[in-house]
Amino acid sequence: MAGEIILGYDGLEESRAALKAAVQVAAAFGRHLVVVFGYEPNPLGGEVRDLRHAIREIGAKFGEEATQLAHGFDASVAVEVELVDDRPAEAILRAAEEHDALLIVVGAESRGPIAGSLLGSATYQVVHRSPRPVLVVPLPAEP
Amino acid sequence: MDTDVSASGGAGGAVESKGLKAGALGLASATVVGVASTAPGYSLAASLGLVTLYVGLRSPAIMWIAFIPMACIASAFFYLNRADPDCGTNFTWVSRAIGPKSGWMGGWSSMIADLVIMPSLAYIAASYTFQLLGLDSMANSQWWTLALGIVFIMAMTWICVVGIELSARTQLILLSTELAVLVLFSVWALIRVYANQIPGSIHPSWSWLAPSDFGGVSGLTGGVLVVVFLYWGWDTAVSVNEECEDANRVPGLAAVLSTFILVGIYVIVAIAAQAVKGPGFLTNHSNDVLSATGSIIFGTSGWGTLAEKLLIIAVLSSAAASCQTTILPAARTALSMSTHKAFPPVYSEMDRRYLTPAKSTWIFGIISSVWFALLVIASRLYGGDVLLWSVSSVGLMISYYYGQTGIACAIYYRRYLFTSVKNFFLVGLLPLIGGLSLGAVFVKSVWDMTDAAYTDPPQSWLGVSPVLWIGLGAFLGGIPLMFWWQSKDRTFFERGRDPVDGRPPPEGGEPLPPLVANERVL
Repeated sequence: MAGEIILGYDGLEESRAALKAAVQVAAAFGRHLVVVFGYEPNPLGGEVRDLRHAIREIGAKFGEEATQLAHGFDASVAVEVELVDDRPAEAILRAAEEHDALLIVVGAESRGPIAGSLLGSATYQVVHRSPRPVLVVPLPAEP
Repeated sequence: MDTDVSASGGAGGAVESKGLKAGALGLASATVVGVASTAPGYSLAASLGLVTLYVGLRSPAIMWIAFIPMACIASAFFYLNRADPDCGTNFTWVSRAIGPKSGWMGGWSSMIADLVIMPSLAYIAASYTFQLLGLDSMANSQWWTLALGIVFIMAMTWICVVGIELSARTQLILLSTELAVLVLFSVWALIRVYANQIPGSIHPSWSWLAPSDFGGVSGLTGGVLVVVFLYWGWDTAVSVNEECEDANRVPGLAAVLSTFILVGIYVIVAIAAQAVKGPGFLTNHSNDVLSATGSIIFGTSGWGTLAEKLLIIAVLSSAAASCQTTILPAARTALSMSTHKAFPPVYSEMDRRYLTPAKSTWIFGIISSVWFALLVIASRLYGGDVLLWSVSSVGLMISYYYGQTGIACAIYYRRYLFTSVKNFFLVGLLPLIGGLSLGAVFVKSVWDMTDAAYTDPPQSWLGVSPVLWIGLGAFLGGIPLMFWWQSKDRTFFERGRDPVDGRPPPEGGEPLPPLVANERVL
C-alpha cells in the first residue's frame, strides 16, 4: 500500500518526541507508520564490515523500541521498521519515495542551526530536499 | 492491518535488497579515498628526510621501486576482499587463511602501527601549526609540540568518536589543494634551481631515478621501509570496491589512477626537494623538510610568504586526514577483534548516540597521547628524535602485516592458482613476491637495527638502536597479551582456519567440488 507516514528514528529524545506525533498523525489518517533507521560508517577509515553489523544491531533495537513505544501510544497503528545501509537523510528520503509517503516526520535537532549545518543534520537535509510535506517535531518545553 | 515487521525478520531482509546506495562511490570519490588515506603531504613532511638519510641522491628512485611490493600486496587485498568483503583488515583474512594466532598478530601489528605513528602525526601537526602562526621558537621546543600535539590527538579522537566527516566534495577540494600545492612547490623549486638562483642547489640528473647505488643492501631496505610508510593507506582505494558504482571496473581504475598520482607526486617532490640544497639538507631538516625547503624556494617576502603558508596548510590538512585514517581503522580493528572474541568485549561497545565504537576510540586516543609523552621524555633523557624513531619503526609493522596479507592470499586461494593464468599471476605469484620481499625487508631491517648506527647520529639503548626497541618491542608485546587473552576466552582461538573445500574462487562464483579422500592440494 502507499501513503504511509515515514518517521526518521535514531533512538534519541528528539526522535521519541517525533514518534508520538507520528503515531497521532497515522491514527488520525488511518495510515501505517514506517520507522526508518539509516546508518553509514565513514568510508575513509576502511574496515567497516563489523562496525556496520554492530550498528545494524543497534538499529534493530531501536526498531523494537519504536514499535513498543508506538503501540503504547496507540495500539491500532500498524508499524513497520526499515533499517537502511545509507546516511540517515538519504534513507528517509528514499523510503518516502518508495512508500509514496503522505508525510515525513522528523525530530527537531537540538544542536542549533550553525552546528547543525556544519556537522550535518539529517533534519535540515530532509526539510530542504524532500518533495513531500515534512513535519518537524520539537522537544516538549520544560515544565 | 497489523503488519508489524520485526527488525530482525522482514526488515533485515529489506536491508540486503536495497541495492545500490545513493551515496555509492564514483571513480573520483574512490580515488580520493585512496589518495587521501595515504595523505601524501603529511607523509612527505614526515619521512622525506629519512629517505635521503638511507639512499641519498637515489630518493626519487626508491619512490618507484618500493611501490612494486606495494602493488603486489594490493593485488592480495583486492582478491581477499572478494572472499570476505568490506573488512579491509588483514585480521579476518589471515585468521581464515593461515590460522587464528597469525590473524591475531596481524590485527595487533596493524593497530600497533597506527599507535606508533601517532606521535609523528601529532608532532608534524603541532610543529606546522606553530610555524603557520609564526611561532618558530615554540615549533622547535619539544615540550610545546608535545602539549599542542596531545591537544591535536584528543581533538581528532573526539571528531572520530562523534563521527564528524567531511563531505565527498570537501574532501576532493582539500585533496586537490594539497596536490596542487605540492606540484607548485616542485615546479617553482625546479625553475629556481635551473635559473641558478639558489646557492648550493644541484641540477637533477636521470641517474636519480636509476635502480642502483643505494648504499648497499641496508640502504635499500632502510629506504624501502620508509617508503612503505609513504604508501601506507593506498590499499584503501582497492578495498572500497563494495561501495563502488561498478564494482568490477571502478576500484581497479581508482587504484591505477591513485597509483599514478602518488608515485608521480612522490618522485617529483623528491627530485625537486633534493635539488634545492642536496639530500644532506633534507636529512638535517627531517622534522620540517617541506617547510624548511619551502622557505628557501619561496623566499620570505610578498607572495612567497603566502605560498609557504599554503604549503604549511596543505601539510596540516593532510595530517588531519591522516589522523582520521589512523584512529578510525585502529578503533575498528579493535572492534572487529572484539566482535570475534579475540579481544576484550569493551572494545566492541557502541555509543548509541554517535553509532561509533566510542570506548575503543577513546582508549586509542589516550594510549597514543601517553605513548607520545613517553617518547618525548625518553628523547629528552637519552637524546634523539621522536619523529624519526616513529617513522622508522612503523615501517616494520607495516611490512609485517602487508607481507603476511600477501602470503595469506596465495595460501587462501591455493586450489585456484593453476585454474587460469590470471589467477596464477594476480592471486598467487604477485602476492607471494610482495609478501616475501616485504618479509625480507622486515628481517634485514631488524638485523640492521641491532646496530646503534641505524640512526644518525648513532643512538644506543642497551646496545641496540631505540628504533628496534620501539618497533619490535611493541610488536612482540602482543604475544604475551595474546596468550593472556587465550587463557581468558578460547572461543576465537578454537575456531581454526576456513576448510579448504568451501573456499570460493577469486573470480567469484561456486567453489570447486570438495576434495576426495586423501587428495592433497599443494
